[in-house]
Amino acid sequence: MIPAAMPPALAADGLRKSFGALEATRGVSLSLPPGRRHAIIGPNGAGKTTLFNLLAGALRPDAGRVRLGSADVTADGPDARARRGLARSFQRNSLFPGMTVEAALMTAAAIAGGLGAVFWRRFDRDRGLADGAAEIAARVGLADRLAVPVANLAYGAQRQLEIGLALATRPAVLLLDEPTAGMSPEETRAMQRLLAGLPRTITILVIEHDMDVVFDLAERVTVLDYGQVLLEGTPDEVRASDLVRRRYLGDRTG
Amino acid sequence: MTPPASGTRHVVAVLLAAAAGGYWLASGYYGKELLAETAITAILAMSLSLLVGQAGLVSLGHAAFFGIGAYALAGFGARLGWPPALAMAAAVATGAVAALLVGLVAVRLAGVFFIMITLAAGEMAHAWFLKDRLFGGVGGMAGVPRLDLSAIGIDTGDPASFALLALGVAILVYLLLDRLVLSPFGQTLRAIHQNEERARALGCPVGRYKLAAFVVAGAVAALAGTLAAQRSAFVSPELLTWTLSGEVLIVVIVGGGASLLGVSAAAALWIGLRHQLSTLTDHWMLAMGAIFVVLVLVAGDGIDGAVRGLWRRLAQRRGP
Repeated sequence: MIPAAMPPALAADGLRKSFGALEATRGVSLSLPPGRRHAIIGPNGAGKTTLFNLLAGALRPDAGRVRLGSADVTADGPDARARRGLARSFQRNSLFPGMTVEAALMTAAAIAGGLGAVFWRRFDRDRGLADGAAEIAARVGLADRLAVPVANLAYGAQRQLEIGLALATRPAVLLLDEPTAGMSPEETRAMQRLLAGLPRTITILVIEHDMDVVFDLAERVTVLDYGQVLLEGTPDEVRASDLVRRRYLGDRTG
Repeated sequence: MTPPASGTRHVVAVLLAAAAGGYWLASGYYGKELLAETAITAILAMSLSLLVGQAGLVSLGHAAFFGIGAYALAGFGARLGWPPALAMAAAVATGAVAALLVGLVAVRLAGVFFIMITLAAGEMAHAWFLKDRLFGGVGGMAGVPRLDLSAIGIDTGDPASFALLALGVAILVYLLLDRLVLSPFGQTLRAIHQNEERARALGCPVGRYKLAAFVVAGAVAALAGTLAAQRSAFVSPELLTWTLSGEVLIVVIVGGGASLLGVSAAAALWIGLRHQLSTLTDHWMLAMGAIFVVLVLVAGDGIDGAVRGLWRRLAQRRGP
């Protein structure tokens, strides 16, 4: 197997998206080889969320293509992209509040596995789904809270479940929308450990405000500004860039 | 909203069936009619429970599929002279097809727009049968045949036997829908209800699942309609009125939405109260409205929630 011959796990090519007169995304291209940890940073209003939604399928681009592996998914909605191995987390927790942690994780795996059409077996007695849920719960640090109703989880635990639901689909590509948003420093460190421990079989793209998290996790960083790529490079290159320092990092690294 | 997978539901199911059986033994001619009507209403309510309680799709046009099932039986069984069993199967299929056509449009809409489109579709079906000449228009049509079970020694023309038949079909529908509700399919419907955006992000083709639920609910409602047409041997546009859709929706809400047994119990309460109150006062609709308002205020989760709460309290008292 020659690594260079493998198609990127996720690629965007010349993505454009306008909302009325506002050009939120102006020709953004990205390419993530399998296993890559890639971060997108940029000031508020730089178009990070729009780009994220274009990649996840929640928005359709005005121009440009999105590829997952060798498949062009530009025309696919979020569910079709998910069936091709793309999983996403949400910036604001988007869970199943009426289920237990176990049921929520089992549900995510059942939907992703195409079991939703099965109507003659008991869902709650599916050993395979339950074992999978226990495994994912252990990975995201919720092993002792399987029986807890999702609505009763503390905020930090809900953030962990947010990642868990995405992982339960066994994704090839994971899009994370500010995974540490609203977390305490302690919870943030736990989330960093969680993300660092994810297997290399998963390609990860993360939008994040916390620079410690970005520089800790990412191998490549794309800096967005006014809907365009200001710079793409290694964390060290981004940190060293005068341009980025002026535009975004400001006195944080100054 | 919680999956109704508790083992106690079997106990409750047997108790409800036993109550129906006891009533069947004790009641006279009119009681048998009430029992059949209760069973039919319970089937209709259980079919709507799949939409409202599981998928979170509030339909105000569910009587349309009930009526279409009834009219289809009249068409296939009386007009075309098909054997009643075949006509019944064809009527259920007709209800499924009608639900598919309405659902293709309706499931694209959310919230109040879904309610309005189902209401509109129901009114269109109602208007069609009001004007239609083939089935007697506003006056309706008599002569709908009953299922012929003489081969196994049952005379369905006898009200007592027909009540048992309706009850048997209701139990069968309960067992099938209970299976469906507890399956991965049912769980997916609940996931869509709780968080449609997340279900989609996990890979769920949400529209297709809503459509599947809508078609199953329409087919089961049509099955209830075929029994209603057999019970009175008569079909009329009354079967498709939006007020009937509203009544069934109230029964489902009072029953607890997601609980098949809860909505069945609510159906019995509805039919029983209507019978009792209508013999007492001309203002029975007003009295029923008041009773159901109080019920919803006292037990917000419906009959199902009230029974669960009572069960919990009893268990706590027996415990430590």
